[in-house]
Amino acid sequence: MKLSTLFTLVVALAVMAAPISASAAGKTLDIVKKRGHLRCQVGTPSGGFYNLDAKGNWYGLDVAVCQAVAAAIFGDKNKVEFQSVSSQARFTALANGESDLLSRTATWTMSRDTQLGLDFLTPNFYDGQGFTVLKSSGITSAFQLKGAKVCVTTGTTSELNLADFSRANNLNITAVTFEDWNVRDDTYLKGGCDAVSIDKSSLAANIISFPKPDDHMILPETISKEPLGPAVRQGDSQWANIVRWSEFAMINAEELGVTSANVDKMRASSKNVDVRRMLGVEGNLNEGLGLSKDWAYNIIKQVGNYGENYEKYIGSGKGALGIDRKGTLNELWTNGGLMYSPPMR
Amino acid sequence: MAIVKAVKTSALPAPLSETSVVGWMKKNLFNSVFNSLLTFVTLYIIFMVVKAVWVWGIADAVWVADNRRECFSINPDGACWAGIFAWVDNIFYGRYPREELWRINLGIFSLFIWLLPLWLPRVKAKISIGLTAVFLYPFLAGYLFAGGDKGIFMQIMFTAAIVCLAANTIHSIIGVLIGRSLPEFLPFLLGQKNVNEKNRRNIFLGVLALGFILVYVWQMNWNLEGVSWTKWGGLFLTFVVAGIGIASALPGGIILALGRRSEMPIARALSISIIELFRSVPLITVLFMATTMFPLFMPEGFVLNKLTQVIIAVCLFSACYMAETVRGGLQTIPRGQFEGGHTIGLGYWQTMGLIIMPQALKNMIPNIVGNFISLLKDTTLVSIIGLFDVLNMLRAIGKDRTWLGLHIEPLVFGAMMFFLICFAMSKYSRHLEVKLSTGHKH
Repeated sequence: MKLSTLFTLVVALAVMAAPISASAAGKTLDIVKKRGHLRCQVGTPSGGFYNLDAKGNWYGLDVAVCQAVAAAIFGDKNKVEFQSVSSQARFTALANGESDLLSRTATWTMSRDTQLGLDFLTPNFYDGQGFTVLKSSGITSAFQLKGAKVCVTTGTTSELNLADFSRANNLNITAVTFEDWNVRDDTYLKGGCDAVSIDKSSLAANIISFPKPDDHMILPETISKEPLGPAVRQGDSQWANIVRWSEFAMINAEELGVTSANVDKMRASSKNVDVRRMLGVEGNLNEGLGLSKDWAYNIIKQVGNYGENYEKYIGSGKGALGIDRKGTLNELWTNGGLMYSPPMR
Repeated sequence: MAIVKAVKTSALPAPLSETSVVGWMKKNLFNSVFNSLLTFVTLYIIFMVVKAVWVWGIADAVWVADNRRECFSINPDGACWAGIFAWVDNIFYGRYPREELWRINLGIFSLFIWLLPLWLPRVKAKISIGLTAVFLYPFLAGYLFAGGDKGIFMQIMFTAAIVCLAANTIHSIIGVLIGRSLPEFLPFLLGQKNVNEKNRRNIFLGVLALGFILVYVWQMNWNLEGVSWTKWGGLFLTFVVAGIGIASALPGGIILALGRRSEMPIARALSISIIELFRSVPLITVLFMATTMFPLFMPEGFVLNKLTQVIIAVCLFSACYMAETVRGGLQTIPRGQFEGGHTIGLGYWQTMGLIIMPQALKNMIPNIVGNFISLLKDTTLVSIIGLFDVLNMLRAIGKDRTWLGLHIEPLVFGAMMFFLICFAMSKYSRHLEVKLSTGHKH
């Protein structure tokens, strides 16, 4: 039996069993508190989102979500046990209660949201499929890829997206498929295909791994929508609220200008009611979540606001992927992006 | 009749064509036009491969750098070994806390100390040393690796393991030095020369009990920080999974093989069904079932960690393969051997343990070690279910921002490690074969 068929079968079985385990699981918050740490599922390391460093620590934009939830619950961002699960088993591991939270560049799609017994929360990164080409090729737009050979990875949606794009625009693109992304990139570098097509964040990570990054460029077109965000098991709204509002707190903090550096000062002396409410100086926003008053303070103090994390892992920071945030969907709504938090009041 | 020659003519030296290198080459490499051509082509291919590997891996390689970009700027065509050096702790120990690494080293070192006497001459009671290693060492290593709070059972077994390791070591030193065993030596130490067998044993047990009490009291206040299994990884994790699999494969396999050949219908049916079930599915399926499906069928709150599930799955799987190897060995033993055993009044277990098994296992050494080697390599499959074994760690290097894209060097390094380990195992099996001389000399 082919491995993927087997995994599908198992996932299907697990999904049938999922409602039982979900209802039997009780309050996730209580379980997590009793256990003393959060079990957060990430994937096998992937550029900018979840990675291991040489000291064995996890870092990345999705890792920051896990840490934020841990900081909100325990006041300590390190009370997380990271589970690295293969992408075939990711939803099963969430459904069977192994993971409390999944934060691993999973695309929010309707079928996943409605059929797998899980709930997607706010996307923390809006990605989309694009193309990398050699600058010397003279191609400056994806619509010039007529008859081109494009390297993609099999078994992902990128193959399908590419075919749709080619058909819709009569481009007659030939997809050259690879099981392994290393081989795919080597083929592209050796001239085996004219372009590589995957999500743009991965393209950016790829380019900086090439011997001469300046020779390559990402084309401006985005051919698919990939809202990436955390997901939780269906049926525990309190838990979903905690994760969702932990993300919102980070986005809101950026909008209000609260950073990990100035959060102490802001808590002590800010006159802004929104800041005071968020940081727990005023009001009782924490009660609905069942957390302590300083939950949002802990997130911002220990993990930082959304913009800080973006720059650190994805943006222009040292050791980040170098994807410019300006003009992308990942900007705050005030700058024309999609990062928008409902008011915290 | 005349004597042709009275003195024996001394033998002529062998002709040059038989002894010199040139002669050997002429005979083996260049004995026809076609073979000469073949030799040149092969030599050329070998030369090209070796040269390419040499240039990439050594001559042009970068050994010291802070990140991959720096490697590229030093030499874009060579290997970037600096990344491997930076990740060496991850590769060998996984995410284990860096200040606790001594525990893994100590655990591995104590296994070495425990098993070393088995290869030393003049050491007696090697069977008990081997048995204690199988039954007590896991508790010593288990506590060293995992740490945390000790239950009462763990306290007792941990103490027993330490006492046993100490006794084994002293016993072996005495054995190597003066060829005595520890029970023989103890009364001598106490100044008593002529002690009978029974008293000797009592003294020995008394000393052991004393040691046990001392160690028990000491360890009550000695606690190690708990390290969750999720932080285990790298080659260490590979060794833990493969080690337990290998250690349990032989006993499990023997039991299953005997069960399969048994005349008791239930034992036979059970053995056959277990063996056939596990042998007819691939290991990855067993692993996936054990880690993903198993928790679904368990009552709520029943938590068995993933590593335990994986180890149990690997043990069952390897025992089933071993069972068929052992059964093959059993079938090489002529019926006369069984009958001979019965004739001299041995029961089933004695016949098996004293006559049949030693011969069967000896015949099967190459296959058994072959099984072990393939099990070691198979354990890299645990990377698919998300454990950070050595393979997953090697793959993670190329995803780390600092070493982004570094994927060939880690895999080459991994291949070298596996080759060394597997080659050592197969060499050792050849050595065992020679030592036990199973190769039939016809």
